[in-house]
Amino acid sequence: MKKLFIILGFITAILALILAVTPLSKIAYIPSVVALICGVLALVTSNDKQKGKKSIQLMFLMTIIALALTTYKAVFNTVEVGNTEQLEEKEEQLEEESIEELEGIDIDS
Amino acid sequence: MMKLVVSVLIIFSSFLSTAQNTTIAAGERLTFSASYNMSGLLNELAQVTMETSEVKTSSSTLLKLKCTAATYSKWDSFFKIRDLYESYVSPKTLTPYLYNRDIDEGGYKKFMKYKFNHKSGTVESLKRKKRRDGSDWEEKKNLKINGSTRDLVTTLYHIRNLDIHKASIGDSQNFKVLFDNTETTVRITYLSKETIDTAIGRKECYKLAISINNSDVLKGNNSNLLWLTADQNKVPVYAKFKIAVGSGELKIKSATGLKY
Repeated sequence: MKKLFIILGFITAILALILAVTPLSKIAYIPSVVALICGVLALVTSNDKQKGKKSIQLMFLMTIIALALTTYKAVFNTVEVGNTEQLEEKEEQLEEESIEELEGIDIDS
Repeated sequence: MMKLVVSVLIIFSSFLSTAQNTTIAAGERLTFSASYNMSGLLNELAQVTMETSEVKTSSSTLLKLKCTAATYSKWDSFFKIRDLYESYVSPKTLTPYLYNRDIDEGGYKKFMKYKFNHKSGTVESLKRKKRRDGSDWEEKKNLKINGSTRDLVTTLYHIRNLDIHKASIGDSQNFKVLFDNTETTVRITYLSKETIDTAIGRKECYKLAISINNSDVLKGNNSNLLWLTADQNKVPVYAKFKIAVGSGELKIKSATGLKY
């Protein structure tokens, strides 16, 4: 039982850590919570045995890092549009081309 | 006899009023934030803008309708989108004359141009794509279109120009849209009036459902919705859509240069 929780916890903790560094950081909350629950359950089921404590600690550590990173990103990362210079250039160029193109058309308004 | 003349006049004038542009003015700028719903968490993906401006040629003045989409910087290294859709229309009737679509979605680039000829009912279409080795290839086509067919951008603005206040709940209307060289029918249904909170205040809105005939791009029944403010500007303030791989929404952030 304990082994299962440790394995599950490890997988979800790693997943949380991976997700936390991608722009999809918000989703990292889900595996983080699962990892925390697994960690607690693993601790409860293991009780007095000293064996395997290290891996549980590592699991918690990873989850906490993932959570911290996600929260930091959610709080401090403002959404802003990246570099649109190219797009603006393209717009101007297209407008010039279009005006030339439109010269030939007769508009009945 | 008099009755007949009056009724003919009324019908004719109402016909005229639907054809006239009473909503869209040059210098309008709407900004939206597009987000994608992933397992219940909304991720802000891109900024979408809708702008109008005046464009002058030597003989006439046209209205330029422009829609752009650009991903937020945090996504740029991941999946960069820089899309541009524009249409040059008559400022009085919103009839399209030229349509450009230049998209760049995560490295996939495509350019489309439609030149409308309303007298002969044809469209000159030009498609330009990039090959894998970086060289361009072009495809020119002459398409026959229906008299009421519009491009995508013009259709969006045309929906805003409809007399929704005259419609009753449950009414629907079909529009023909030229997209990727094929004419598709888009159906707009007026569902109800709803008051929703937006970034530009609490607004009473018309709730419209959008569906596309013979296409499976948009999923679900009445799950693709558009909210237009129930005033003369009919600003699109909120949109919800459902596609094969999840759902998303568009929320207004700011609106400037409105006509009323």
